Amino acid sequence: MHPHLLSIAIVAYVCAMGLALAHLVQRQPLVHRLASLTTLVGWVAHTFALLLLAIEMGRPPLGTLANAVSVAVWVVVLLEMLVERQSGVTVLGAFVMPVVVVLSLKSSAARPAALAPALGNAWIWIHIALALVGIAAFVLNFAGAIMYLLQDRELRGKRPGRFYHRLPPLETLDHWTYRTLALGFPFLTTGLILGAVWARTAWGSVFAFDPLAFFSVVAWVIYAGTLAGRAAGGWHGRRAAYFAIIGFAALVITLGAGLFLPGRHGV
Amino acid sequence: MALFAAGLSHKNAPLALREQLAADEDKVREILRDLVVGGALREAVVLCTCNRIEVYGVADVPGEARAAAFRHLCRQRGVEPFAVDGLLYTHTEDDAIRHVFRVAASLDSMMVGEPQILGQVKDAFALAQASEAVGPGLHALFTQAFAVAKRVRTETDIARHAVSVSFAAVELARKIFAGLSGRAVLLLGAGKMSELAAKHLVEQGAFPVYVVNRTWSRAQELARALSGTAVPFEELPTALAAVDIVISSTGAPTPIVTRELVAAVVRGRGARPLFFVDIAVPRDVEAGVEDLGDVYRYDIDDLQSVVDANIRERLREAQRGEAIVDREVAKFRARLGDVEIIPTIVSLRDRLEEIRAGEVRKTLARLPDASPETRAAIEALSAGIVNKILHVPITKLRESSRAGAHRSWLALVHELFGLGRRG
Repeated sequence: MHPHLLSIAIVAYVCAMGLALAHLVQRQPLVHRLASLTTLVGWVAHTFALLLLAIEMGRPPLGTLANAVSVAVWVVVLLEMLVERQSGVTVLGAFVMPVVVVLSLKSSAARPAALAPALGNAWIWIHIALALVGIAAFVLNFAGAIMYLLQDRELRGKRPGRFYHRLPPLETLDHWTYRTLALGFPFLTTGLILGAVWARTAWGSVFAFDPLAFFSVVAWVIYAGTLAGRAAGGWHGRRAAYFAIIGFAALVITLGAGLFLPGRHGV
Repeated sequence: MALFAAGLSHKNAPLALREQLAADEDKVREILRDLVVGGALREAVVLCTCNRIEVYGVADVPGEARAAAFRHLCRQRGVEPFAVDGLLYTHTEDDAIRHVFRVAASLDSMMVGEPQILGQVKDAFALAQASEAVGPGLHALFTQAFAVAKRVRTETDIARHAVSVSFAAVELARKIFAGLSGRAVLLLGAGKMSELAAKHLVEQGAFPVYVVNRTWSRAQELARALSGTAVPFEELPTALAAVDIVISSTGAPTPIVTRELVAAVVRGRGARPLFFVDIAVPRDVEAGVEDLGDVYRYDIDDLQSVVDANIRERLREAQRGEAIVDREVAKFRARLGDVEIIPTIVSLRDRLEEIRAGEVRKTLARLPDASPETRAAIEALSAGIVNKILHVPITKLRESSRAGAHRSWLALVHELFGLGRRG
C-alpha cells in the first residue's frame, strides 16, 4: 500500500511545486489555494505512507537514509505550510517545494533494504532524528537566502518586478536566515557528535572513511563558519545568504553521497 | 422600465467642459428633484466629480431621459447643449450595471485604484436618497456596487502599490526595513516633496527625525513642523551614522554626501541598512555609494521607475478586477429580475385577497347561524383556492425573471388581473 501512497505524495508535491511557481509568476489567489491544497494532499498521503511503513516494519521509518530523508521532507513540508500560514508570505512554496521535490525523488530512488546491523541502539535513532530536524531547518534557511538575494537584486537594480512586490522586506528575510541557521545548527552538531560517538562504539574508529560522514562534516564547517561570522563578525545580508546556499549545497551533496555511494549510511 | 448610465468623463470630455458642467450639492439636489418629480426619470443619482459627470437612472425610455437630464444640466450650468451632445455616452441594462460597478471599484478612474471615487459615489447616492430620487432599482444597484468595490479592493492589489514619488520612497523603505517604527530619518535640505515623504515616514512610525539645512532658521522651522531635531550642517557625518533613512533635496551644485563620507559611516553600522532617497537635481548623494555594503540609493529617476512599475502592476491587477465585475454583473442581473417582479407579485396577492375577503364576507352575512367551525372552514377553503390559483403565475414570473424575460410576462399579468400601473 505505502509505495502507492508515497507515489501519490510525490506526484502531489510535483503538482504543488508547479502551482507554487505559477503563483509566483502570475499572482492568482485561486492558483495559490490550489497549490496549498495539493501540498496538503501530498503531505497527508505522505503521512499515511510513513505511518504504514512504520507499522509494517515495527519501528520508526528511519532505518535507511532514503526513509530518513523522506521523513525530513515530511517535516519540511509541515514547516512550510505552518510558516506560510503564519507569515502570510504566500510565495514561500515556490522556494521550498522545488527542494522538497528534489529530495523526495532522491529518497524514492533508493530501494528499501533490510535494517543495517548497526541500527540496534536507541542512540542511533536520536542521531538520525536530530540530523533530520537540522536538515529541515536548513531547507528553510536556503529558501530564505534565495528570497533575500532576489529581493536585494531588484532593490539594487532599481527595477522592481515580481519579487519586489511579492517578497517580504530584506531585514525580515535576513532575520529569517539567521534564525533558521541558529535553529538548525545545534541539531546538526548534536546529530554529528552522536554519529561520531556511535561510529566509535560500533566500528572502533570515528574517522573511517564514509562519504556521508565526510560531506556532512564539510557542511557543518560551512554552517559553523557562517554562524560564527554572523554572531561575531557582523556578517549578514548577501554574504550570509551566499554561505547559506553553499552550506545547503554541501548538505545536498552529503545526502546524495549517502544515497548513491557505498558507505556505512548506504543502502 | 430600464436602467441606464449616461455622462461624460475624463476619457472623452475636455477639462474645461467638465469644469463648466460640475454642479455643487444644492444644484444637484435641484436637478434630481426636477428630473424625478417632473417625471422624466423614475429614479436618479447624479455623480459630479472633477473627472466625471454622470446620471444613473431608471426610466421608461432611457434615450429621452438621458437627453432630458443633460438638457437640464446644461441649462443649469449655462452650457450650450450641443457642446455636450457628441461627447455623451449611454450605457443601458447590463452595460449600465457594469459601468456603475467599474466606476465605484475605481477601474474607470484616471489612476486605476485611486481611493476617492468610492466615497464620491457614496456621497452622490446619499444625496439622491435624501432628495427622494432613489427607488428599489437604484438602491439595489448602488448597494451592490459598494460591495463589489470592496471586493475588488480586497481581492486584488489595484490600490496597493505607491503611485506617487513620495509614497514610492516609503514603499521602498518598507521593502528594506522590517517595519518603519523606530527608524531614524534625516531630512537633508528643504523641499515640498522631501517634506511630504518625511511626513509619510513619520506617519508609519519612523522616529526620531533630524533636519540638516545650510540655513539654520529653516532647519529649525522644518524640525518643528515634523516634531524633529535641527542639527547643524557641520554635524552631518554624525547624523548620518545615527539614521536609517536619508531624504535629501538641497540645491547644492555638487554632491554633499560623498562616497568617502558614506564609506566612513558604513563601517560602524553593522547589519543596519542605510537608505538614501535623493530627490535633488543635481543629485546630493554621490552615485556609487550603493556599492558600500547595505547601502541603497534611489534618485528621482529611480523613484519614477518604481512608480511606473507600480502603475503597470496596478493595470495588471485591474484585469482581475474586471473579471470580478463581470461575475458580479451576471449575479446582479438575476437579482434585479427578482426586484422587478416582487411588486407585481405583491399586488397580485393583494388583488386576489381583496376579492376573497369580500366574497367570504358576503357569504357569511347570508349564514348568520353558522358555527365558528363552519366559518373557519369557509375561510380555509377560500384561502386554499386563492393559493392554488396563484401558484402557477408566480412560479412562471420567477422563472421568466431568472431567464431575463420577465418584462412581457409582467405586462401580461397586469393586463389579465387588472393591476393598474406597473412598477
